[in-house]
Amino acid sequence: MAANYWASTQRRHWLFTREKLAEIRESFREKDKAAHSQFPLPDQRLLNIYFSQQLIKLGKRMSTRQQALATAQVYVKRFYTKNEIRHTNPYLVVTTAFYLACKMEECPQHIRFVVGEARGLWPEFIAPDVSKLGECEFSLISEMSSQLIVHHPYRTLSELQPELSLTSDEVALAWSVINDHYLTDLPLLYPPHVIAVMAIIVAVVFKPSQTSFHGSAAPLAGAMRDGGLNILAALSDKNGSGPPARIQRLVAWLAESEIDITAVIECTQELVSLYEIWEQYSEKHCKELLGRMVKTKNLDK
Amino acid sequence: MDSRNSSRLSTSSLQRSTTAYLDLISTLVSPKSFLTNSQRPKSPSIQPQPSVAQGNLTTASPTMDKQQPSSFQQLEKLGEGTYATVFKGRNRQTGELVALKEIHLDSEEGTPSTAIREISLMKELKHESIVSLYDVIHTENKLMLVFEYMDKDLKKYMDTRGDRGQLDQATIKSFMHQLLKGIAFCHENRVLHRDLKPQNLLINKKGQLKLGDFGLARAFGIPVNTFSNEVVTLWYRAPDVLLGSRTYNTSIDIWSAGCIMAELYTGRPLFPGTTNEDQLQKIFRLMGTPSERSWPGISQLPEYKSNFHVYATQDLGLILPQIDPLGLDLLNRMLQLRPEMRISAHDALQHPWFHDLPQLQAQLQQQQQQQQQQMSGAYGGMVPPQQAY
Repeated sequence: MAANYWASTQRRHWLFTREKLAEIRESFREKDKAAHSQFPLPDQRLLNIYFSQQLIKLGKRMSTRQQALATAQVYVKRFYTKNEIRHTNPYLVVTTAFYLACKMEECPQHIRFVVGEARGLWPEFIAPDVSKLGECEFSLISEMSSQLIVHHPYRTLSELQPELSLTSDEVALAWSVINDHYLTDLPLLYPPHVIAVMAIIVAVVFKPSQTSFHGSAAPLAGAMRDGGLNILAALSDKNGSGPPARIQRLVAWLAESEIDITAVIECTQELVSLYEIWEQYSEKHCKELLGRMVKTKNLDK
Repeated sequence: MDSRNSSRLSTSSLQRSTTAYLDLISTLVSPKSFLTNSQRPKSPSIQPQPSVAQGNLTTASPTMDKQQPSSFQQLEKLGEGTYATVFKGRNRQTGELVALKEIHLDSEEGTPSTAIREISLMKELKHESIVSLYDVIHTENKLMLVFEYMDKDLKKYMDTRGDRGQLDQATIKSFMHQLLKGIAFCHENRVLHRDLKPQNLLINKKGQLKLGDFGLARAFGIPVNTFSNEVVTLWYRAPDVLLGSRTYNTSIDIWSAGCIMAELYTGRPLFPGTTNEDQLQKIFRLMGTPSERSWPGISQLPEYKSNFHVYATQDLGLILPQIDPLGLDLLNRMLQLRPEMRISAHDALQHPWFHDLPQLQAQLQQQQQQQQQQMSGAYGGMVPPQQAY
């Protein structure tokens, strides 16, 4: 949103290595083994998908700007690096992250409206008392140490559009890849410009047709895996005759820019793994496990 | 009240028991009942929750980090803002003075958006010409921002220091340079202040000027078609904003800076308008009424009227007899009606008017030292310890 990314709190405080993130999650498990065995939850990656999907549902109901939704996604992720999911009511956290993000991105929604819409979606988990949301907002701000400004990859994408002469189709595709990356841990792992470049590569190199994009992910995942290797090959052999001119131009630009190519490739792989695991994703299953946890522990009170 | 442990237990009982002073123990945390309802022991023998307390409350400041728990003695009220009350405070451990901005929470709207915006921007913007936010303290029903202490705002400073509000040349130049440095830093970081006025510029005993009150500031990183046009106090509001432009940019802060510069010379606001129309008229009377010829596109702005009274451009030097030609040149570059014509903060800092600033500052420093010696002489040993100043 604002300010300089390089000096930002996002870069200084909210960028993790994979190891660190795993360590944090493991420490939650260590601290409360009983809760973990009593309330097993789906794989973190499936939970990520579930929370993101819930946020998107709420955002759709209130026709919110993408920017605010993206910020809310990041808030949920940040919050759960500080708090064990099993001690929270995730539906309230998701709703509050949305409410706070709307304020931050200057499209505020009234507290009663937000609570009302959230109750429409999850009547059994959201209490009608609006002060709960206010309290939770307070806690969210505090857990994030008031570091609420989030830099998103969308800006890099629009800045690079003219430079790489991207077509509007490619931009739209890259845009939806960026949307998808919020379903993973990627926003906690890589700077926004790396994500943006990854999205551009996916859009330009693989050109997955938009219809098949969400429908069946597996072929796309396969294509992307091969494509990742192609890029690597192209980068190591710039004089090669391989890829078409359009892609060669992109590769040349990448080589000249100071972007961390390894990081970009890791991001691509993370996205591949998202599309793969999506096959196993069951909203119903997530909902049941979380519901049992919230209800048994009275976390919704 | 005297035991630290008891103050950890319950904020509300603490607040009830203290009227004159308020202990802000940084281990107080926001209500987490929604998180830990079922597990949290209800008995008074609550152990502090270190993992929570550390992350929350002592992240920001190098000066506040070490002392845990940090506590502040609340002193006199300094002012009342739209969404906050500001008190002078003293760090009990270091004796350092601070400004405590207490944010009122509204049960209907949670934490005010203005407060959220201010806090989050201040977390990102660290600069010598911007007031430092040391810490954010969450108590049960309040948010307390701990800012670096500044003695006065520019308005009060002018009232007390100046000759009928007018300041001397060296001080004006020094203040303008610091103001523009702060603005340039904001703009480099894609932040618009939007509410620059003497009341929001803070002065300390070292003669430093810093930008404060970022409640209306906004980030302009993402292109947004429309911004709220209900910002900036009328007197310092740029003509494009008054004309209803909703695509304003960094140049609105420069207009405000120009108005402030003129006020430093005269001690009076340059354009003290009462309504939107009156404000425009006061501006046109001095700067000339713009037309489609001088400002292409102006007739498309929502508040533009083809029957604006037509004034000729006046010489600003006539109402500012004290200003030197270089200063007048800079002022004219800042007070351009057409936003695209206004000088940027970065370029303004390079203006020749500032070339003799180092010499002037050396003189100023001498003056200040003399004044401080006189002050401490007058008050004897009564001056409280102020390590930071």
